[in-house]
Amino acid sequence: MINIASKAGNYLRATNQVVANGLKPLAVAALSEKKVSGDQKEHLTVYTLSNQLPGNNVSIKTGVATSTQVRFAHTDVSVPDFSGYRRDSTKRAAGKAQSAEERKSFSYALVGATTVTAAYSAKVLVTEFISSMSATADVLALAKIEIKLADIPEGKNVTFKWRGKPLFIRHRTQEEISTEGSVNLSELRDPQHDSERASNPKWLVIIGVCTHLGCVPIANAGEYGGYYCPCHGSHYDSSGRIRKGPAPLNLEVPPYAFPDEGLLIVG
Amino acid sequence: MKAIYNIFMKRTSTYAVAIMGSVFFFERGFDVFADTLFESTNKGKLWKDIRANYES
Repeated sequence: MINIASKAGNYLRATNQVVANGLKPLAVAALSEKKVSGDQKEHLTVYTLSNQLPGNNVSIKTGVATSTQVRFAHTDVSVPDFSGYRRDSTKRAAGKAQSAEERKSFSYALVGATTVTAAYSAKVLVTEFISSMSATADVLALAKIEIKLADIPEGKNVTFKWRGKPLFIRHRTQEEISTEGSVNLSELRDPQHDSERASNPKWLVIIGVCTHLGCVPIANAGEYGGYYCPCHGSHYDSSGRIRKGPAPLNLEVPPYAFPDEGLLIVG
Repeated sequence: MKAIYNIFMKRTSTYAVAIMGSVFFFERGFDVFADTLFESTNKGKLWKDIRANYES
């Protein structure tokens, strides 16, 4: 049907021929849209159907200046109506261009709202995941101890249990306060002034675990009147500082605060 | 709508800033809404409702 010579010339040629598809005469369809094919017969049998096919004398012109592309003209096909799917703003007489910004801002607002929700969800997910790694509420509740200071008389040392360790709270006398405040730091193994260890000089809050090997010292005992560890004989003064014996460090001071008058919270 | 588009959405930078800013307000609003919903659903069962029965 197509020879090589003609093919070469036609590569870049746009189709300019329209050929009736045989079923429907071209002229009729082109003249009027309403008028469909003149042939209104119903083709019920194989014979009548096959008569509709292009028959004996089908011929196609070919040559250097002739396009061999055949395009059937479906001029009877009407453009479908998509107005049901279109936004109202695009159907206005003013046209699409007028409503472009409105439509764009709607699309952007939708994307923005989705992003806001996604960011919030992501934040909640991460926060929940990370907080699941922290201590549980019952552990956190046990992590603090509240002590009414009015129950501790002056000159006494009271032991509480805090985070599985003994906690010493000592109501110091004025005499002890002045003695500990005037200690020369150069004499101390672990130099710490009394004011660094007791924010309120009347109350000494320390963890009752000997810094040597972890025994619990005895209060109001030893050469310095503070604490004395019975295991290996460490002497602490009434500020909990190591003064004599094998222990290397002062007794540990936990974090604590006095939120109210007469109330101490450790932890 | 047009003003919102021109101020916040025309540039990616302002768009991103607007999203980040609105996340804060959205979070606050959503959390308050969720808490209110929870409290209204569980009214009478919460500690703040029965506290008076146990604390003098």
